[in-house]
Order: sequence, then structure tokens, then C-alpha cells
Amino acid sequence: MNSLSPEVALSRISPELRPLLCSVVCNGRVGLDSSSCLRITDLKSGCTSLMPGPCCDRFKLHIPYAGETLKWDIIFNAKDPELPPDFIFGEDADFLPEPSELPHLVSWDTGKPECLLQLVKELLQQYHQYQCQRLRDSSRLLFEYGSLLEDPNYGRSMEIYAGRKNSWTGEFSARFLLKLPVDFSNIPVYLLKDTALDPGEDVALLSVSFEDDEATQVFPKLYLSPSIEHALGGSSALHIPAFPSGGCLIDYVPQVCQLLTNKVQYVIQGYHKRREYIAAFLSHFGMGVVEYDAVGFTKLTLLLMWKDFCFLVHVDLPLYFPRDQPTLTFQSIYHFTSSGQLYSQVQKSYPYSPRWDGNEMAKRAKAYFKSFIPQFQEGAFATGKL
Amino acid sequence: MAASISGYTFSSVCYHSANSNSDHEGFLLGEVRQEETLSISDSHIGSAEFLSVIEVHNHEPCAQLFSFYDYAGNVNEENLNRILKDRRKNVIGWYRFRRNTQQQMSFREQVIHKQLTHILGIPDLVFLLFSFISTANSSTHALEYVLFRPNRKYNQRISLSIPNLGNTSQQEYKVSSVPNTSKNYASVIKEHGTEFFDKDGVMKDIRAIFQVYSALQERVQAVCCEVDQSERVREKIQEEVNKLKEEIALRKRNSAEEERRLQEAAAVTLPDNSALPDSKHSSLTQVVLSGPSVEPSVERPVNSSSPPIYSSTLPPDSPSAILLPRPQAVGSPGHPSPILGLGNGDGSSSDSLNRQATGQEDQEDDEDSSEYENLVSEQLQPPSLTETVTLGRPATLWPDGDAHSPPGS
Repeated sequence: MNSLSPEVALSRISPELRPLLCSVVCNGRVGLDSSSCLRITDLKSGCTSLMPGPCCDRFKLHIPYAGETLKWDIIFNAKDPELPPDFIFGEDADFLPEPSELPHLVSWDTGKPECLLQLVKELLQQYHQYQCQRLRDSSRLLFEYGSLLEDPNYGRSMEIYAGRKNSWTGEFSARFLLKLPVDFSNIPVYLLKDTALDPGEDVALLSVSFEDDEATQVFPKLYLSPSIEHALGGSSALHIPAFPSGGCLIDYVPQVCQLLTNKVQYVIQGYHKRREYIAAFLSHFGMGVVEYDAVGFTKLTLLLMWKDFCFLVHVDLPLYFPRDQPTLTFQSIYHFTSSGQLYSQVQKSYPYSPRWDGNEMAKRAKAYFKSFIPQFQEGAFATGKL
Repeated sequence: MAASISGYTFSSVCYHSANSNSDHEGFLLGEVRQEETLSISDSHIGSAEFLSVIEVHNHEPCAQLFSFYDYAGNVNEENLNRILKDRRKNVIGWYRFRRNTQQQMSFREQVIHKQLTHILGIPDLVFLLFSFISTANSSTHALEYVLFRPNRKYNQRISLSIPNLGNTSQQEYKVSSVPNTSKNYASVIKEHGTEFFDKDGVMKDIRAIFQVYSALQERVQAVCCEVDQSERVREKIQEEVNKLKEEIALRKRNSAEEERRLQEAAAVTLPDNSALPDSKHSSLTQVVLSGPSVEPSVERPVNSSSPPIYSSTLPPDSPSAILLPRPQAVGSPGHPSPILGLGNGDGSSSDSLNRQATGQEDQEDDEDSSEYENLVSEQLQPPSLTETVTLGRPATLWPDGDAHSPPGS
């Protein structure tokens, strides 16, 4: 079933219920995984077929939760729009929330557009409780849950999905979805603004799936907001350690958290370091600077002259600078290669140390240029064409 | 557990539901009965199966949603009583109708069900869910219904049967035990019932038939006694007849021998015959005298064939004589009330064919009847030999096959 786009859904729903649905599909974000929106499918009507449209008043709401998608039926009555909705909780036939703990149900007010969204959030909280209850079937997993709950860093932002017990094998599976308390606020803005959509809050979610209740098959996975992922160098740059056999979450999760924090620090530091580097080069080379990346400080181009030989030097600063060495590309302004490009040579290994500060690096770079340029010039004259 | 709903209740619920422009709900009224089936087979002594049968007789629709519960699903007992009034004790479940939804109990329905179970005090309260599914272009609509027993952990769905909904050409039309709760029906029956029912509620015709049956039974009993008696009499007579036959045969032999001796003697000398006829006569006389006082038929010449059962006697005019049942066709037009055994008094029956069918027992011609009458009346007189001679008719009397109208009838 294809989910309906918000516009289509809103056009088909009964007019009195439209504001409620709007707040759900347009800005509705529930749970930890705020990046995926709530989706609507199966929009149907409870009125007779003689009723002129639009009169849809019941639909299926897809809610991301703990790596799963809950499909809840929400049933209104277009004829009585002031009445609160009814719910069918899909496959979770045992889930029966306590109505008195749903304030937005008890004092339902169709006039308030966020009423439905708030009610769904309250139901989710109860659903979370219900899932945690189900962990009782496995003492091991219950222990995991309990230990995490006690830790203030993780206890409050945790979603648990205790899967169905496999009736054939008696296997019990569960998934923990944790929000990692990593501070992404200092990540340079330029890294984050490349993403096309506004993803919302930057989060890192760690999902740990237990395929059996003895924790012998554990599969962790890290989910990052697209911007964070991009900022940290893509999904390939992040490899989290495997879950140690016999280990437990309360040890593993902080480990992953630390790893992530370190990476973020690297990135932040890298940015600053690059900035420092560029600044130093600017001050050292002054008029020789052709252009530089003033946002990300990842590139720098210099036009230098040595004994009437002018050449360009392109400096590419990697993401994990200063750990990773900048790439120097020497380019002749006179000579072409056979393919029509300017003759250039790339130098990746040259005297370098990450422990140098910007100034030192600039100085050393200058020295290197001087030492390398004769070689380059020869090469340019030899192989290049004017 | 089985459940059934009468066709008219089902269609009534569907009608109410389909005509509502929103979800619809109401209560189911009826009764639960326990059926015990005892099956006996050769292999084991017997097994009893208990089956709970839920019967839905009627329904009480709610005028609107949330009429007896609030937003949180709390049931208001006052409102509940207002809806149910005095039918509260007949409630066996409740129903809900919703279009285009899954066949699964919803959150609020479960909450309400729990409370209703508790408030109404029905542990096995059932919930009937109707869902109406329509295709997108409204070309096909399906009404689906499922009966739930939510208070049980397993086997929560029960199949609901609607008697006589189906192919009745191959099945009998079933009459369900649903009582007719219509007030109009009850008042009409009360008003006109006395024409058909007596004070005990039993149909009058049945009583009349039963009376006829009892009368017939009595008569049959009486006839049985008569038959019994006449059979005994016949036996005795048969014995006598046999004895007489033997005597006659003996006498014949004796007389033949006597003659032979006489002839032999005559051939030699003259024998003395005087004793013989006397002995013969005396034996006859003895026989006559010793014959049973019951019947004059002793004097009749006996032939080898055994007399028919009923040919020897005739029902006389006087009822004190031995009565032989004279079967007649029941409902024969000429004889609205056949009286067994008495016949027409003259020994004839109007239905010769019937006589034939019952095997030879009869009667015959007027001549015979008159002769038999004579016979009967003779039992009062001393037997005379001459009459027996004239009655030398073979014992088996066959009807001529014509219908003989009895004389004077």
C-alpha cells in the first residue's frame, strides 16, 4: 500500500477532521526517530456510499518505533466529528492502554488541532511501557533494560520493541533503540547545510537487536541523521565495534557513544585546525593566495614564483586533518599534458607532522616548495608542452 | 460453543446498521442454553457432550454513539438502564457496526466490554462485530460479521449460524426455539385461543382424538376377551367333535364286523343280533347324553374336514349368547358405528367382501343364517336327530361371493 502524500490525504478527509490530520502528517514527529514522518495509508470512509465526499474518517497511521513501524488504525466518525477516535493496534492485540492515563482522550477536543498528535504520543508512551513489560519473558534482556534505565544518560530516551516470541523455536527477540547523548552542536554549520531537506534535530541512534534472549546473537547498528552522517564523512567512515559476546549494553553503549563523540571532536577540531592552517598560509604567503575555501577551509590555491617560474599549488585539506596529511598539487601554468590539462604533480607525502601548529606547517610547506620546485620545473619542461 | 441468530433479528440489525451514516452499536438479547448430547455406541457405554448454545432473539439498537459511555470508555450504568429498561436480564451480548475497518476488537470496544461484563454480571458476554467493506468504486459491498467471546483466552471467535439461511431444498425448514415476543401476536392468540385450546392449553382437537382413541382401545380390549372365550369354546367343541368322530368310526367298524360275523354265522348258523343294535343305539344315546350341554352340534353328522371356526355358532338375537365378533369396515357408510360382535342380529353382514377377507367366517346366505338361528335356538330344546340330518351341510361354508342383503334390513 502506498502512503498518501499529505496533500492527497488532507483533500480526502472530512473537512471537520482536517486540522487534526494536518498536524499529524505535516509536522507530526513522534518517538526518537524524528526523521521519518508519520505516514497515512488506507484512508476510508465510515459513511454510506451515498454521502458526497470528501468524507473519509478512518485511516492507518504508520509510526516508526524502535526500528519497527507500528500500523495503528484510527477510526473517527465524520458524522460526529467532535467525538474522540477509536484505535486498533494492529498486531499488538494484547496492548490495551489505560484510558485514564490518556489525558488527551479523556478531555478530547476536536477544536485543538494537536489533540490527535498528542494522543498518539501518549499512546506511544503506554506502548513503550507495554513493551518493557514484555521483556519480563527474558531475564537477561530485562537486566539489560534495567541497567540502562538506571543510567540517566540513556534511560530517558530509549525505545524498546520486544518482538514476538517465535512460536516454533520459542526464541524471543528484542530491539533496543537508544538515543546517544552526543553533542553535535559544535559541528561546523557548513558541514550540515548540504543536505537538501531539513531533517530536523540531529540525532544519533543506536539500535541493538537481540535475536535470542541469551544475547548470543546481537546486531548493533548506528543510525545518524543525514547531515551528521555527511559531516562525519559518510557511512563508511563510521564503524562501530561489534557487540562483545557476553557483554552487556551498559558497557557497550557508552563505548559507542565515546567513539562517536571522539569522531565529532575530530571533525570539530579538524575544522578549527584547517582554519588555523589556512590562516597561517595566508599570513605567510600573503599575495600568493589565489583563492581559498572560506567556509570549510578545505582548499587553498597559491600562485608562487620561483626564479621566474610561476606555478600553482593546490592544497586539499582532508576531513580528518591534521591526522591526515593535506594533499599538495603542483600545477604549471605554462605547460599542458597530452590530454589538454595543465601539467600537474600531486604530492601526498612530504615532511609533515600533525603536531605542528599552523605556522609551523606553513613554514615547513614553504621550505618544501623551495626544495621541490626545481624538480617540478624540470618535469614540466620535459613532459609538458607549451 | 455455538451461536445462532434468527433471520429476522439478523436482518433487522443489518438494516439499522446499514442505514446509519456512522458507526452503530446496540445490545443483543436472547438466552444461553446448555445442550447435553448423550451418544451411545457399541464400543463404549456412552459419552455426554455439553454444548453451550447462544441464541439471539432480539436486539436493542442505541440511538447514537457514546450513549452509555464517556470518552474514556467508562460505562454509565444509569444510561445503560435507560436504554435497556426491563430487558436488561435478557442481554447476552452487544454488537457494533463499523465500515471499512478490520475484523478485530478496537481499543474502546475492549474497554467497554470489560465493564459491561462486570456491570451486567455476564461472564461470557459476547460481542458481535459487523464490518462493511466496500470496494473503491462502490461496486461490491461485503457485510462481514464475527462473534467474539473476548472474555476467553482461546477460541475467541464463535461461528454464528442463521437457521434457514441457505439451501433449504435439501434441508428441512428448521423451527428454532426462539419465543415469539411480539405483543400483538400474544393478544390475538389470547383472544381467539379459546376456540382451539381448552383451559389447560391443550388443543381441543387433540383431546377429541384422544377420546376416540381411548374408546377404540376399550372396544379392542373387549373384543379380545370375546375372542378368547370363543376360542376356548371352539377348542372344546373341536375336542368333542373329534371324540365323536372316533366313536363313529369305531361304531362303523363294529357294525361292519358284526355284519360280517352275522354273515358268517348265517352261513353256518343263525346268530343272535338283538344285542348289537341296542349297543349301537345305546352308544349313540350315551354319546348324546354325555355330549356337552353347550352345543347341539354334537348331533350333527361329522365329516372328515374340520369345521370352520365360526360356522358352528351364530350370534343369536339374544345378546346373552356367545358373541362372535363380526368385523366390519370402520367408517362404512351404512354403519356409522359398527358394533362388534352383534352384527345385525340376523347373522348377516352387509359387507360380503369383508367377510371374505377375514377368512371364511361367515355368513353366508339367508338360508344358512336361518338354519343357524335354528341351531342356536335349539340349544334350549332337546336335540333331535332329524334336524341334524337336514343340516348335513358341509362344514366349510363359502360365501357365494354375492352380496346378500340381510333379510329385513
